[in-house]
Amino acid sequence: MHSQGRTRSIHDRIRRAKRRKLISHYSQNVLVILVVLVFLSPVMWIVTGSFKTRVEFYSTPPVFLPHQASTATGTNYARALEVGGKGFIDSIIVAGFATVLTILLAVPASYAIARYRIGAQHIPFFILSILFLPPVVGILPLFMLLKTLHLIDTHLGLILAYMFFNLPLAVWLTKGFFEDLPEDLESAALVDGYSRFRAFLKIAVPLVVPGIAVAGLFTFIFSWNELAYASIMTRSSVETLPIALTNLMGGHGIQWGALCALATLAAVPGILLSLFMQKYLIRGLSFGAIRG
Amino acid sequence: MRRTLAEQFIHYFTPKKRIAIFMVAPTMLVLLLFAIYPLIFMFGNSFRAWQLTSVLPPKFVWFKTFGTLFSYGRYWNAFANTLILLAIGILVQSVLGLGIAMLLNRQFHGKRILTGLFLVPVMIVPVVSGTIWRLMLNSEFGPFNYLLGITVHWLGVTKAASMTAILMMDTWQWTPFVAMVLLAGLSAIPREVYEAADVDSASGWHVFTRVTLPLLRPIFGLVVLLRTIFIFRIYEPVSILTAGGPGSATESLSLLTYRTGFQFWNIGLSSAMSVIQVIFMILVAYLFLKFVVTGGRTRHA
Repeated sequence: MHSQGRTRSIHDRIRRAKRRKLISHYSQNVLVILVVLVFLSPVMWIVTGSFKTRVEFYSTPPVFLPHQASTATGTNYARALEVGGKGFIDSIIVAGFATVLTILLAVPASYAIARYRIGAQHIPFFILSILFLPPVVGILPLFMLLKTLHLIDTHLGLILAYMFFNLPLAVWLTKGFFEDLPEDLESAALVDGYSRFRAFLKIAVPLVVPGIAVAGLFTFIFSWNELAYASIMTRSSVETLPIALTNLMGGHGIQWGALCALATLAAVPGILLSLFMQKYLIRGLSFGAIRG
Repeated sequence: MRRTLAEQFIHYFTPKKRIAIFMVAPTMLVLLLFAIYPLIFMFGNSFRAWQLTSVLPPKFVWFKTFGTLFSYGRYWNAFANTLILLAIGILVQSVLGLGIAMLLNRQFHGKRILTGLFLVPVMIVPVVSGTIWRLMLNSEFGPFNYLLGITVHWLGVTKAASMTAILMMDTWQWTPFVAMVLLAGLSAIPREVYEAADVDSASGWHVFTRVTLPLLRPIFGLVVLLRTIFIFRIYEPVSILTAGGPGSATESLSLLTYRTGFQFWNIGLSSAMSVIQVIFMILVAYLFLKFVVTGGRTRHA
């Protein structure tokens, strides 16, 4: 009798603890969804904006459900593509090549820094310190440099500029991943007769693919979104998306519908890339990027 | 037999050193090539009185521009604003970011989709984000006041409201970045550590302060350092939302440096501002890397 009562109370306690855990699990899920909704609300304002007529942007109370979406949407997206169609191609060329080149340079460099401690802490600190320069400082000198190289208003000029901006962050992100990689595997490969470079390429690099994906994603997004340098280093033959977007803001006031439509379209490649890289991203970030 | 200079150079280094130099050289060359002009430009011009709109040629004036800067109230105001954005922004964003990272660092349905959606603010071209935020915060037809049922003039009327608006947008833009990096740090903490704490039946708060936070310290330091670097470059939220207004009350250092150079065409003064900023950042980064990021942990061999 007595022992039976005690068993029941233990079961009871376990059940109550389980229920508490479940409630906390679900309330945390609800919290996550709420937070994501709050953070997405400005994005939703842009997306629904692409379904609105001009008047609906300036009405009180604000319009949450566009009334003339069927006509406004077509007009907005047609205008967006008219202004930004070329921008898409230019942006893909510039951001794409900048990303590939940045990664090609950053990965061996960060490996040399992490594995061979080349330049002790001075080289990585110098590389980081490039980020300390206010962006303004670079505009005039970089313009003059590209001018002497005849690279103003070319894809290559902008690609080189973005490579310069993104190299420091890419080196620092991948450096952490290589530092977390045990040296044993490469040592074994050296014993097997691999050259040092081949050990790096065939053994180390495949193991830090996640880190490379992370650095690549951020390089791509930052190049894709950059405006200040693009507007000064290009004139008419190259026109990236941020420039196309500012074209919708000047002149006769802001063309809100088309602006929202083009901004929505412009976010798609980044979102696709991040979804594609998610499986690397979470695992990837967890590997490295930790060590100073 | 005398070796050529190239041979001497090659034999000076061990094979390990040689391959390392070969691997790091392209990056260093690109960075030096592109950084050398801006550096010379910045340091050189900070010692010169150079007004682009004036017919007078640039004149070497030693440290006079720094003296001018020292008594330039607008500069110190911008410096103070940047430090306010830094202090409040980083505090809010790291608390929020850590909370979100901990919420995301669990197993649940739709984790990948929610994490992906959370990153979307980063994907919006900042100049558009700024414009849309200005529209949303508009006191007449903006949805922000409407939904909250308030009538606040957010932009360019009072300093407090304008700074709050800038901070809100900056937090929206950058918390996902902070949360993502912290999430990485959290998932790097080995599960065994938590299991051990579970066996000791430590309370949740105890586990958080004694296990999670100390293990997260290096990455927390790194993310704060990166945010510090980026807040010193803050541009769109300030220039688009308030344009530094009312007056120049909410001007940030980067906006003032830009205006001094490309609106007032005072290259000398703008360069001096940049020099001080670079020196300040070097100090901050050095202290950070020494005491926060690598401090308290031994470097592995």
